[in-house]
Amino acid sequence: MAKKILLVEDEEIMINLLQKKLIREGYEISVARNGEEGLKAMREVKPDLILLDIIMPKMGGFEVMEEMGKDKNLKDIPVIVISNSGQPVEIDKAQKLGAKDWLIKTEFDPQEVIDKVVKQIGK
Amino acid sequence: MAEKKFYKEELKILKEDFDDLKVYLDEIRNILPISVCTLSSFWVIVDINRTAGTLIGYKPLEIIGQSIDFIFQKKQELEKIKEKAERGKRVITEETLLTPKNKKEILVSISIVGRKDREGNLIGYFLSIADITETKKYQKKLEERTKELEKARATLEIKVKTRTRELKELAESLEEKVKERTKESEKRTKELEESRTALMNMLEDVEESRKALINMLEDVEEARGKAEEEKNKTLAVITNFADGLLALDKENKLSLINPQAEVFFDVKSRDIIDRPILELSTFPTIEPVVKLVGKEIKGVFRKEVRIREDLVLEVSTIPVTREEEKLGTLIILHDVTREKTIERMKTEFVSLTAHQLRTPLSAIKWTLRMLLDGDLGRITEEQKDFLEKTYKSNERMITLINDLLDVTRIEEGRYLYKPVLTDTEPIVQFAINSHKEEIKKKKIKFEFKKPEEELPKIKLDVEKIRLAIDNLIDNAIRYTPAYGKVTVSLEYRKGVIEFSIKDTGVGIPKDQQGRVFTKFFRAANVMRMATEGFGLGLFITKNIIEAHGGKIWFESEEGKGTTFYFTLSVKEEFGEFLKEF
Repeated sequence: MAKKILLVEDEEIMINLLQKKLIREGYEISVARNGEEGLKAMREVKPDLILLDIIMPKMGGFEVMEEMGKDKNLKDIPVIVISNSGQPVEIDKAQKLGAKDWLIKTEFDPQEVIDKVVKQIGK
Repeated sequence: MAEKKFYKEELKILKEDFDDLKVYLDEIRNILPISVCTLSSFWVIVDINRTAGTLIGYKPLEIIGQSIDFIFQKKQELEKIKEKAERGKRVITEETLLTPKNKKEILVSISIVGRKDREGNLIGYFLSIADITETKKYQKKLEERTKELEKARATLEIKVKTRTRELKELAESLEEKVKERTKESEKRTKELEESRTALMNMLEDVEESRKALINMLEDVEEARGKAEEEKNKTLAVITNFADGLLALDKENKLSLINPQAEVFFDVKSRDIIDRPILELSTFPTIEPVVKLVGKEIKGVFRKEVRIREDLVLEVSTIPVTREEEKLGTLIILHDVTREKTIERMKTEFVSLTAHQLRTPLSAIKWTLRMLLDGDLGRITEEQKDFLEKTYKSNERMITLINDLLDVTRIEEGRYLYKPVLTDTEPIVQFAINSHKEEIKKKKIKFEFKKPEEELPKIKLDVEKIRLAIDNLIDNAIRYTPAYGKVTVSLEYRKGVIEFSIKDTGVGIPKDQQGRVFTKFFRAANVMRMATEGFGLGLFITKNIIEAHGGKIWFESEEGKGTTFYFTLSVKEEFGEFLKEF
């Protein structure tokens, strides 16, 4: 059975690119376009991994992780943050909130995202 | 008959006269104090006077009829004396020894003269004897005395001579001294004369000065009026000055505060005037300024201090001196709140824009990557070539945006992050390694002079320092022609780690060297080279180094090359740069 990945991202083109890449790798993808939707989706889908953007409308990535931390059903789902920014404070904060990894969009290629996903949950 | 009688009578008188004469002579002979003996022509004693009897100790009867040999027993002497007396006509005087009756010889002086009758025939001799023992004694004494005197005289003479010599020497030395003194006093006199002349000249000068002074005083009176006017003007300027002004005297006590500064600090002049600067820190509004300048009022130039949420002052201190003597310090407070607000807005704008730009740039990057990787279908070589170039341009854009974001963070004062104690050498090595390809491509002779000993660990933000070093290496390689040389060295000396990078590149034109570390600066000569770059690298590098409490500088000659240096202090604390984001 294919591993389920929830992609929480507001940028349409990024969604398209990542979705295409991840499906090709054999994962099952669901998409949420902001934090609120993301939380709702993860309760329904119960993904194996969440790819989470930080700056999003309605609810940002940090708040999503805070909410996840409060929910015993959600707090153990691994999270990889994908963000435009990558300041050390942000990374620190994400780690404290339980994020497993962090990648900066401008510095990484789609393939490297796949590598990080595989590292967390395998194929 | 009568005649006979007459002769008889006459004879009688003559006889009487003769007898008288004889008595007279005898008497004279006996009272003479000298001894007299009458001798016959055969040197037999025929008579002696009383004195002679006393001297020789014999009574006349015992001695008369005896030869004089009886009393003068030095035979040879006596014979000589007799001979002389027999031949001579006059008195002879000789010394000899007399042997009196008691046999105790007496030294005597004898004088002998011949006795003659009326016809002049020698009939005997008169001998006088004088005891000269005493005389001789006296003579001897006298001679001794004379000798002593002579000796004393000689001694005295020597003494006198010595004394004379001494005196002479003394006199000479005195003379010398006197000469010296004279010379000295002549000199003194001359000096005095000169001094006097000088004094006279001075007096003349003083007189002239006095006259000049009087003239000046008249001018001064006029000038004073002007100065008063000038002072009023100055005060007016200070009072109405848009900047706040604090004047401190040389003891760092507040001597003046203008109304603008009163407004800034929300204080009244009378409450704080004449108080030492340190005391002023009890006013919460003044405290940040006191903290900045310190109690010795250090040199500060355009340092920003936030007084309140809506008030930021730019503080500068200016030492007030007159002919190298410090009179005090002027603190100038320039309100930069508005500028800061605008600057913040600008920074926020850039930051926001950069963030906003990053999203599409990431999208472009990822799309291009997937296209290039063939994830979205096969592409031709030509398409691939174009896409590669586009990808590179996009990467440059991303770099620019990242640089701009760094700059905005620097300007917002939130840049360094969590310094950790770390080794510097691996950071340098890492930065060098990431440039290996370019070094190879440009055939640059690259050398890394590693320190001989292990360097002390240092507290730093590894990412930022890596970026700073990376920027410097990047520049060195970029602006050094192919086959050039780049040397990186790392050394430890006197508590600091010094990094340097020397290239044989194009160098920085002299007239532009002052702007090297400013934002968006690119030297004219490298602009012509048409290489990429936005002029942010060195600005960022400088800020990174300075945020670590380090120093950065360079030496450069156009056409020969450039060497950049920076130092990081091993003990530097830089807490103030670790503000919350």
